[in-house]
Amino acid sequence: MLKKYFGGCDVGSTTGKAVILDENGKMIAGSIIPSEIDPEITARKALEKACTSAPGVGDTENLSYLIGTGYGRNEVPFANENISEISCHAMGAFWCDPSIKTIVDIGGQDMKAIAVADDGSVREFAMNDKCAAGTGRFFEAMSRIFRMDLDEFSKLSLSARKTIPVTSQCSVFAETEVISLLAKRNPPADIAAGIQNAVGKRCFTLLKRVGLKPRLTVTGGCAKNPGLLMELKRLFQIDIVPLTVDPQLIGALGAAILASGKGSLR
Amino acid sequence: MDTDKWFSKLLEDPGNDLVRKAMDEGQIPIGYSCSYVPDVMLSVDGLFPVRMRAPGVAGTELADNYLSSVICSYTRSLLEFGLDGRYDFLQGWVFAASCDHLRRLYDNLEYLRRPGFSRILDVPHKTGKAAIDWYTEELQLLAKSLTDHFGCNLGAAALTKAIREHNAFNAILKAIGEHRRSDHPSITGTEYHRLVIAAGASPKKTLIPILEKIREDLPTRAPLPPYRARLLFVGGHLDDPGYIGIIESEGGLVVGDRLCTGSYPGLQPIPETGDPVAALAKYYLTKTSCPRMMEAFNERAEDIVSLAREYRADGVVIQIMKFCDTWGVEAASFFSHIREAGIPVLRLERDYRLGGEGQLRTRIQAFIESMGK
Repeated sequence: MLKKYFGGCDVGSTTGKAVILDENGKMIAGSIIPSEIDPEITARKALEKACTSAPGVGDTENLSYLIGTGYGRNEVPFANENISEISCHAMGAFWCDPSIKTIVDIGGQDMKAIAVADDGSVREFAMNDKCAAGTGRFFEAMSRIFRMDLDEFSKLSLSARKTIPVTSQCSVFAETEVISLLAKRNPPADIAAGIQNAVGKRCFTLLKRVGLKPRLTVTGGCAKNPGLLMELKRLFQIDIVPLTVDPQLIGALGAAILASGKGSLR
Repeated sequence: MDTDKWFSKLLEDPGNDLVRKAMDEGQIPIGYSCSYVPDVMLSVDGLFPVRMRAPGVAGTELADNYLSSVICSYTRSLLEFGLDGRYDFLQGWVFAASCDHLRRLYDNLEYLRRPGFSRILDVPHKTGKAAIDWYTEELQLLAKSLTDHFGCNLGAAALTKAIREHNAFNAILKAIGEHRRSDHPSITGTEYHRLVIAAGASPKKTLIPILEKIREDLPTRAPLPPYRARLLFVGGHLDDPGYIGIIESEGGLVVGDRLCTGSYPGLQPIPETGDPVAALAKYYLTKTSCPRMMEAFNERAEDIVSLAREYRADGVVIQIMKFCDTWGVEAASFFSHIREAGIPVLRLERDYRLGGEGQLRTRIQAFIESMGK
């Protein structure tokens, strides 16, 4: 009898992610690619990459059930269904660690706080507004001002001796403010600490709306930003639980888990 | 005729074809902007009311020069339309001092673009006898000023007739809306909202035949395709059916509403006996049920819970306009009240102009999923 495989595809604004599970619920492949203009192409490419690297799968046609998620989820015509990224992140984080009760998901253009119920479903959620302040896009813009790549900028605040506040919430105004601070020869690390602090405060506002229950984890691409994680830990006064899976893949993983639940019934 | 398309077209322009036709026939359009304005008094002897909207507003560059940044986008959009001439067809307008934002709208329009007739009603914040007496007097002054300006007859007989016609019209709209209660509704919340908004945006009499036809046809219309959840939709001013359309496209059928521009509390009958001005004052002051009122906080919250149960809603969606102080504050207590009643509830903030569709979809989908639907 042929083996069954289940897929989750998270079509984000900045990256496309795919995860493949086998019929035993083991994660056998994951992929992350930069997003294309067309979400359908992003989904195809991310899935093809994951399927190619998954032993025994090879082709997307061999997936028994596929769930699309992320902002482009409605544009994945070959998926069996789509589920919101909020439910997928909750399920993905719960699968990694069932003791997780709260998630901050910071992606390329939005930020969400999610309270997780005891079964991995969503108990409550809050989402930032349509503005992209404090998300991956914001960090990309900031790193450009510092003439650094994103990884380098993410670590910059770790060596700060103090925090120079960046008051503007708007990405455009923050950019102007940071350029002025740099021009006045303030230490770049201290300004970077101010930027991480401003984003951390936005997360705090969202978390207050859903209630912060331990244990807390951070998912999405910005979970790979060590400066931000340090600032969140300081602001929330709580440890941030690291996950066993790449935090950027959690949405796709959640979608694959939900796909395995539905696909196994077929 | 595709009635849904026809109604959509009516909503594209404040001075729609029906408004223009009525004007060609010599009728006089009067704009208004709030449910405290007794539109019945603007439906007498050649006058007809037009609830002011700003469909398709793209930006508010003109209005931004005159309004502070904390004024809501509905007010801002109306001023924009006023300033760029899209309300020049109105021969007058009546506003209500129901909130500070609308007062600023009136002040600016009065100063920048005053039509022939302009008035703002002073609306008390309570609904006791003294307040009703006050509002009765306010409406008597409105009647007098309309008579003086337009030479129309707003006597007791004319007003009673207008109330009767208003009730008859609303009875048709209400009957159509009742079909949403069914276990298998045959009308979406989007289509229904389109009818209600069209009724405010056009001379009502011209819509009666087509609404009657819809009412007659509904019992034999096929039920809607399966949906995931029944929702009660709550908030203040919302005149874009497209917003409800997005919610419904995610599987949340809007089976009931509590909106200033919706079926509840606006479509209840007005008493047809006694002094019509006093009846109108009492009706508009007590039935509008706006969070601006400094009383009946629990009753307003309980009203929403009762409606949710009455319409067998699986959840409640509260939408508020950003910077709307009155709804912004009270929505917080509505939220906890509804949740304590054991009903799932989602709170959404929005701008007047429909935007951020992707995020709205995500919120609605996640809300429906969190209900286990």
